[in-house]
Amino acid sequence: MIDNKNGDIRQFLFEEPGERTKRTIRIATAVSLVLLAAVLGAVIWQFYRTGQLDAKYWRIFIRWTTWRFLARGLAGTLEAAAMAGVMAFAAGFCLMYGRISRFRWLRALCTALIEFTRGVPTLLFIYFFFLVAPQLGIKLAAFWKISIPVAISACGVVAEVLRSGVNAVPRGQREAAMAIGMRDSHAFFKVIFPQAFRYVVPALISELVIVVKDTTFAYVVNFPDLMQNARVLISNYDALLSTYLVVAVIYILINYLLNKASDAAARRMRNTGTAAAPEMQTGAGEGAGV
Amino acid sequence: MSIQALLTQFGDKYVQALFTTWKLTATSFALAFVLGIVITVMRVSPVRPLRLLAEFYIQIFRNIPGASLLILLVYALPYLDMIFSYYTCVLMACTLIPAAFCSEYLLAGMNTIAPGQIEAARSLGLTFLQIIWRVVLPQALRSSVLPLTSLLVSTMLTTALASQVPLNPQDLTGLVSYINTHAVGGVTAFFISAALYCATAVVIGQIGSWIDRKVRILR
Repeated sequence: MIDNKNGDIRQFLFEEPGERTKRTIRIATAVSLVLLAAVLGAVIWQFYRTGQLDAKYWRIFIRWTTWRFLARGLAGTLEAAAMAGVMAFAAGFCLMYGRISRFRWLRALCTALIEFTRGVPTLLFIYFFFLVAPQLGIKLAAFWKISIPVAISACGVVAEVLRSGVNAVPRGQREAAMAIGMRDSHAFFKVIFPQAFRYVVPALISELVIVVKDTTFAYVVNFPDLMQNARVLISNYDALLSTYLVVAVIYILINYLLNKASDAAARRMRNTGTAAAPEMQTGAGEGAGV
Repeated sequence: MSIQALLTQFGDKYVQALFTTWKLTATSFALAFVLGIVITVMRVSPVRPLRLLAEFYIQIFRNIPGASLLILLVYALPYLDMIFSYYTCVLMACTLIPAAFCSEYLLAGMNTIAPGQIEAARSLGLTFLQIIWRVVLPQALRSSVLPLTSLLVSTMLTTALASQVPLNPQDLTGLVSYINTHAVGGVTAFFISAALYCATAVVIGQIGSWIDRKVRILR
């Protein structure tokens, strides 16, 4: 996020502070610390006052079986996310290839499909596969009822990310491939796409975050993912707040690590000079992150 | 079910649902935008605890799934004696998460500003907040119109969370599930909602790129 030819703005916003500014900053720091402590204290007090700090709500988390059950749910989440990711990549690639094709009707069709998948909420696709598809006689296992809609809602973004990578490959590459006698498709698969793919690895990893987030709707279709298993735990142990908090933290950690991996990939790309990467068009994959 | 039959039976519900989705989207985006600016200013401020708090906020709300957050707000907060209406809970979820992304885009926008401008502003005697308010933020906003436009679209997609709680009137996604559990709405019910979402997204995108053309800073 914070990579720019000027560097991080925060380095330039203020210079070495003078005596008076130092004092102002110290006072502001102290005041904000006090306020933060007060808010934190209020939160803890609220937990304590309502009895949510009682050992009975947290005891289940020192049991091994609890974690094993949650881990099984997590495995479900990761399986669904991985399958959705693979399908989204395959579909996204096809949509991208169609969108840059020579045929105008194919371009129009793929553009429309991409815009459609990007403009419709994942939940609506899930309801389609959960409620509407059975009416059409399509019977699917819960695993597919969650992974297919998640893949559909991700594939449009994947297509746009891949396309921005293809556009970032210098024109000369294709011309050189033509000059040594490659056919169009040959040049694309052997020369252009391998480079484009490397440009967009970070963006593709970030897209995985969205895929993982979307799989939390698995409870709608009764697929045993992390969230669904948490609900089972809650109905057995009456520890709602603690369980949902723990699960939220697990999700946050997974996505945090994915984001870190994406940053690391971006940094590696810059350092190894894979990218004398021409300015990538931003905004293709961004904004879909919510 | 044919499209006519569906619209005679559920037409006004679709209108209400569309307005619910629009209202949720507009309100939560406006709130997220303000919150995003506040967080961004905290992130670049010279006060360390504020910076850390803001970074913490970003990491939490960038990474939490919407469903997880909504469930916490709806079902867990009452255990802490904090009870909000379903609508407020959805609104909070659709504000807290986009605010984190808004701040990310604004910070990226700030990074396009040349350091010389800050130095120039400082040599004019502007204070930190004046530099932020008069020099940095306006330019950051102008260069992040496109990401903010797609943020508005994804805020709209996030409001589909409203279908997970009982709301009256329902949103576009909730209505599809309602129709399909009360009648055999089938594919048509789905496609009407999908088309309304898409049309909204397309209009937002058009307006966004029009604004971007007007205000973009050519460097």
